[in-house]
Amino acid sequence: MDKTAVILPKRRKKKTFYEHIEPWLFLLPALCVFGVFLYFPFFKTTYLSAFLTNKFGQAKVFVGFQNYIDILAGKYSGEFWNSIWVTVRFVFFVAGGSLLMGLCTSLITAKAFPGKAFASAIYAMPIAIASSAAAMSFKMILHKSIGLLNYLLGTKINWLSDEVWTFPILCILSIWLASGINFIFISAGLRNIPGELYESASIDGANYWKKQLHITLPCLSPTLFFQILVNIINAFQAFTLVKLLTNGGPTYKTQVIVYSIYLDAFRNFRFGTAAARSIVLFVIIMAITLIQFSTEKRSVHY
Amino acid sequence: MGATTLARDRRIFLNKLGHILLNLPFVCLIIIPLAYTLMMSVMPASELYSRFFPTFAEWDSYVQVFTKTQIPRHILNSFIVAGSVTLLQMTTCSMAAFSFSFLHFKGREVVFMCILATMMVPWEATIIANYLTVSGWGWLDTFKVLILPYGCSAMGVFLMRQNYLTFAKELHEAAKIDGCNNWRFLATIVVPLSRPALGALGAYVFLQQWNQYLWPLLVTNSDKVRTVQIGVSQMYDIDSESIALMMAAVVVCLIPSLSIFVFMQKQLIDGLMAGAVKG
Repeated sequence: MDKTAVILPKRRKKKTFYEHIEPWLFLLPALCVFGVFLYFPFFKTTYLSAFLTNKFGQAKVFVGFQNYIDILAGKYSGEFWNSIWVTVRFVFFVAGGSLLMGLCTSLITAKAFPGKAFASAIYAMPIAIASSAAAMSFKMILHKSIGLLNYLLGTKINWLSDEVWTFPILCILSIWLASGINFIFISAGLRNIPGELYESASIDGANYWKKQLHITLPCLSPTLFFQILVNIINAFQAFTLVKLLTNGGPTYKTQVIVYSIYLDAFRNFRFGTAAARSIVLFVIIMAITLIQFSTEKRSVHY
Repeated sequence: MGATTLARDRRIFLNKLGHILLNLPFVCLIIIPLAYTLMMSVMPASELYSRFFPTFAEWDSYVQVFTKTQIPRHILNSFIVAGSVTLLQMTTCSMAAFSFSFLHFKGREVVFMCILATMMVPWEATIIANYLTVSGWGWLDTFKVLILPYGCSAMGVFLMRQNYLTFAKELHEAAKIDGCNNWRFLATIVVPLSRPALGALGAYVFLQQWNQYLWPLLVTNSDKVRTVQIGVSQMYDIDSESIALMMAAVVVCLIPSLSIFVFMQKQLIDGLMAGAVKG
């Protein structure tokens, strides 16, 4: 065979103009959506956070960092730090609680038993339930005089405006709603652990708890890691239940950060400080993502 | 011999029973709120304050939901919005993912990272600017304002790309040699082959959109475009006449998302796992 015939196909044909822009044509719709509804508003939010606005949200007076100073250390700082503290506690309980709920339900459906398929479907179901529709049911269940919970417990507690109970109730309901997605990911993670590991551990005489501790937990750690990150990010964005069940009350005890952004912008028409709060929310979420990814490299077993 | 088999059977039986007993409280925890909602929706008004469990079911509230409230209109709106967003995302994400996995161009990795990075920007952090932008355009209270902002998602692009990366490169080469251009290759070969992933993405996006609350709350204020979640949440009223009606509305609005979940469960879970774990 002639040598050139082998080499020829390797020489690349010069790309036409169309071939140069074609990849971008495929990307165009996606880039338009991201550009108009994500990047642009993100920069606009940053811009707005340096201004005082009129009630139509138009930037009027440049104030530099004044909006940030107002929320971090100025006239709104008490309420702002309260919303941060409420959110952090909320995220802690909900991210942890729904992970735990997902882990428990996954472990108890890991082995075959009659009704396993049914139980699994039920555990995954909250993923399809809207928090707004669920909020309506929860409101009935928690109602002071005709609610199910007071009926079952024989109490007369006003669950949704009680100084002590409202925050834990909000956490529990959020865990209930988030448990579905946790179950789905964790049980799928469990299925991916090779069965031989358990068999050889049994031969070595390991009991159930030892197996969970030394096989399940390390093998599941990437899944758990991913899921806790998703839980944290989702919990930071909680809004619907707060809006529909507690309105941030009683006495700001459930005023999470997104609800305070909503109040600031759409009740008080202070778009500047609301934008500053949004940027704080973004920075928190970005920081958590970066911290988690840097710790992942050190602590997660693959 | 017989005794050991018996002992083993007994152990297996106890093990199964143990599993069922272990699962029972968790299943109840999830099911009771839903069952209670269903029960309250058929509770006759006459028995509301006197009994806890109704003696008979009165389905009248469901008739009323469809005849006396705006809920049917809201359901239609939700279907329009969630359906459009689903189709739109399936299209835009497939196209973008195709470019990222089959085509070569300068800056591919950088653009891909820029899209992935948007996962870190919470929607809630941009919602004020988005609201001001769309209201400036006079888009409030239209379908496009509910649909277009969700026209693409980083997660969808990522999911589809993960799926395309499993395809053999030879497939693309062979198609090119046969004179098939990229658009036709995507439409006639890649898309049909990725039906499971597309199905998972579609189901996920539909559920997410059906359950959307904050954005529709801000940008809609008439029944013409208001979605069902907003409609239902505005029905809260606990006088005896309307409890059953409200609960029936909740049940009606849960039915579409729960059916999608039931029918698409396996596909949804497999598809989401493929995107999450391999990534």
